[in-house]
Amino acid sequence: MDRHLLVVALAALAATGCTAKDTRPVAKADPPYVFPHSPHVDSDVNCKACHGSIVSETTLEARVRHVGLPKKNTEDCSGCHDQLPKLAIPARTREFDVRFNHAAHLAKPGMKCTTCHTATPEAKQVEPPRVSMNACTACHKHQRDFAEARCSPCHVDLKRYEKPVAAFKHTGDFLKLHGALARPSAETCAQCHEQTFCADCHAATTTPMRPSISFPEEVKRDFIHRGDFVSRHMIEQAANPASCRKCHGSQFCDACHTLQGVSPTAPDGTFRSPHPAGWNTVGSATHHSRTARRDITSCAGCHEQGRGLAVCLQCHSPKTSGAPTNPHPAGFLRKHDRDDQTKGICLTCHGP
Amino acid sequence: MRTTPRMFVAALAIVSATAARADVVEATSTTLVTTGQQPRGGAAGTTPDLVRVSPAFEIISVSAREIRNPVFSDLEVVFSGWGSLDLGELRWDAGSSEKFTGDITAGYVRGSLLKRALTIRAGRALVASGVGRMLQLDGGDVLLRLPAGVSLSAFGGAPVSQRFGTRSGTRSWNPAGGDLAYGGRLGWTLPLAGKYGRGLDLGASAVVVEDGGDVVRKDAGLDLRLAPVQALTLVANATYSLEAERLAAATVEALWAVNAKLFANVDYRFTAPDLFLSRLSILSVFADSSRQDIGGGFRYHLTGDLQVGADYHALLEPGEGDSTTLGHEAAARAEWDLGPTTVGGELSYLTVTDNGWVGVRAFGRHEVGRAFVTGDVVFHTFENEVNGEKVAVTGTVSAGYQLGSGFSAVLAGRAGMTPFLEQQADLMVKLVYNQTYRVREVK
Repeated sequence: MDRHLLVVALAALAATGCTAKDTRPVAKADPPYVFPHSPHVDSDVNCKACHGSIVSETTLEARVRHVGLPKKNTEDCSGCHDQLPKLAIPARTREFDVRFNHAAHLAKPGMKCTTCHTATPEAKQVEPPRVSMNACTACHKHQRDFAEARCSPCHVDLKRYEKPVAAFKHTGDFLKLHGALARPSAETCAQCHEQTFCADCHAATTTPMRPSISFPEEVKRDFIHRGDFVSRHMIEQAANPASCRKCHGSQFCDACHTLQGVSPTAPDGTFRSPHPAGWNTVGSATHHSRTARRDITSCAGCHEQGRGLAVCLQCHSPKTSGAPTNPHPAGFLRKHDRDDQTKGICLTCHGP
Repeated sequence: MRTTPRMFVAALAIVSATAARADVVEATSTTLVTTGQQPRGGAAGTTPDLVRVSPAFEIISVSAREIRNPVFSDLEVVFSGWGSLDLGELRWDAGSSEKFTGDITAGYVRGSLLKRALTIRAGRALVASGVGRMLQLDGGDVLLRLPAGVSLSAFGGAPVSQRFGTRSGTRSWNPAGGDLAYGGRLGWTLPLAGKYGRGLDLGASAVVVEDGGDVVRKDAGLDLRLAPVQALTLVANATYSLEAERLAAATVEALWAVNAKLFANVDYRFTAPDLFLSRLSILSVFADSSRQDIGGGFRYHLTGDLQVGADYHALLEPGEGDSTTLGHEAAARAEWDLGPTTVGGELSYLTVTDNGWVGVRAFGRHEVGRAFVTGDVVFHTFENEVNGEKVAVTGTVSAGYQLGSGFSAVLAGRAGMTPFLEQQADLMVKLVYNQTYRVREVK
């Protein structure tokens, strides 16, 4: 049935790809600016003399720049220029990062262009000075929008540029810290990160390989499984058993353990017990109960059989042994009354 | 229950893909081939066999954002998937007995309605908020933003297993261990006036996972983020197992950006690892141990180019009987950016009840025009022997070149001596196409 979902996803992908064919790569660089803005701003030349059409514009368009140099020597120009210099203003296609309504803002009393455009591009400059977000937040109190990660009404697409905001800095041992940060504010993460980014590590069930294999050139990134992880995995598992279980089901572990012959599911004749001598000897210092009590998840790496005929039940079930040792930890029976024995895993041993 | 989300995905995907046009389309294609050896079994007392595995992968990731359409705001379609062909022996982590296989890592349609007060997602995605524990689901989720900073989210679907196989916990890689999951989170956000980022996030959440109608996991939890000043963030959360009537996990973190150069953190974690097993596992009735770790660390920019840092955590583990043993985990790191060259080193130390290690790592990257080379050596010496050996060392060298037009190529080789492979050598070559297309930025 899931293959239908795959077909639908691929069909949607293909269709979306088709509509994107007439798009263009972003890599094109715009030419440098040619107009010296600052002397004109310093001389109080009215911006509308060249940018007149911006007053009525309600949107920003990449290919519409609202530039029109005066064709005649007007009052704005004649104070300095006897004749108008001949300037060819190159077309610019630089994309905008924000949605902005100039008409609505410029209509407000006392609003000037320089209120927001505190710096202007100069001749030969390639990158135009950015309007600071402080220009917006001086009037618009966006505290709640910021807190709720509602950036998209103004910002077009946060996923593609550097985040200058101190609150989002991924400092310290972020690999260890980020999980707790994401719990209350996952939407904030989603403003910049697609889930494909998270899935590289967190969707271990469906990834093609671990990231440290597919990105060997990313030497600066923190990868959990870098280097010879196979030799370390049992030590790491012992140090933090829960961390493995978040991403890996028991059958993942057993897929390798079976091939290595250390799982009871290994083919006949290939099984090599990984357990020390005395593992099944009551009273032994290496008796399996000690490990099971301390770290039952390590048992699950080979012996997870759900409620089926697990190796444990050979001794610990009243159904399969006459007088079984109570295998439950202290306090277990206090939390599980007789009613529990009629459902779930309890039925395995205590059912009819 | 299974048909509804699938139909929803189909409807949304088709509507968004055909009637709309994306303003931003990011596409990545990676063609990757690796070859190396893996050990296989061998009876007791015999040397394991070595087999050569040489899988070839095609990995595709596409994200179409800002899709213009008459219904949704911020509509996006995200897909990441791959296919592989094992040219030699089947690799152990193929997740399938077939030589040709593949999977979808993420694939969803997401959009907002009602002036962005309602966000809907359908498809294959991760549940990151609350006690979701990054649950990977085929299903959907909704987020409703109510007045006064209150938000309500809900999710439901089938936990994902590998290669579209069975989802049942005992027969798949599915870490959730069930075939149905649902839950949600009630949140409250209180922004504080002043610098952005100050404020309080508070949430209560729950998750239920079932397998064949029986409960695998039933957890409820609380989470909190408090930033009284922009430089200081306090984070806390707790997950309580309603089935076992015990605390499953808890975390408290304090993160402090002391100044532009120094960042410090302290943190405490509690986990009950057995509660990360399915409640339908017979193993779940044998233990209720817990672990704690407490520690902290710092990062300091000694100069603009040189950054150093260190972390230490004390690991409190269950010992014999009711006793507790003390383990240690520590790491130190330095990284020096010298323009086109980056060099760095790491020291790590871990000791727990049964074993431990000391690790040393050195890495570097140098760029020359469109080309780069990297080197990475990882060395570990173990407290107690692992498979009769005390040492593991692996070295990786890679070289890459930006071919232009969004294409780049990387060649990497890894060699080492490890406890399980006396000599190990792998080779990887990949061709990557990564491009962003933008049609129009503003609606």
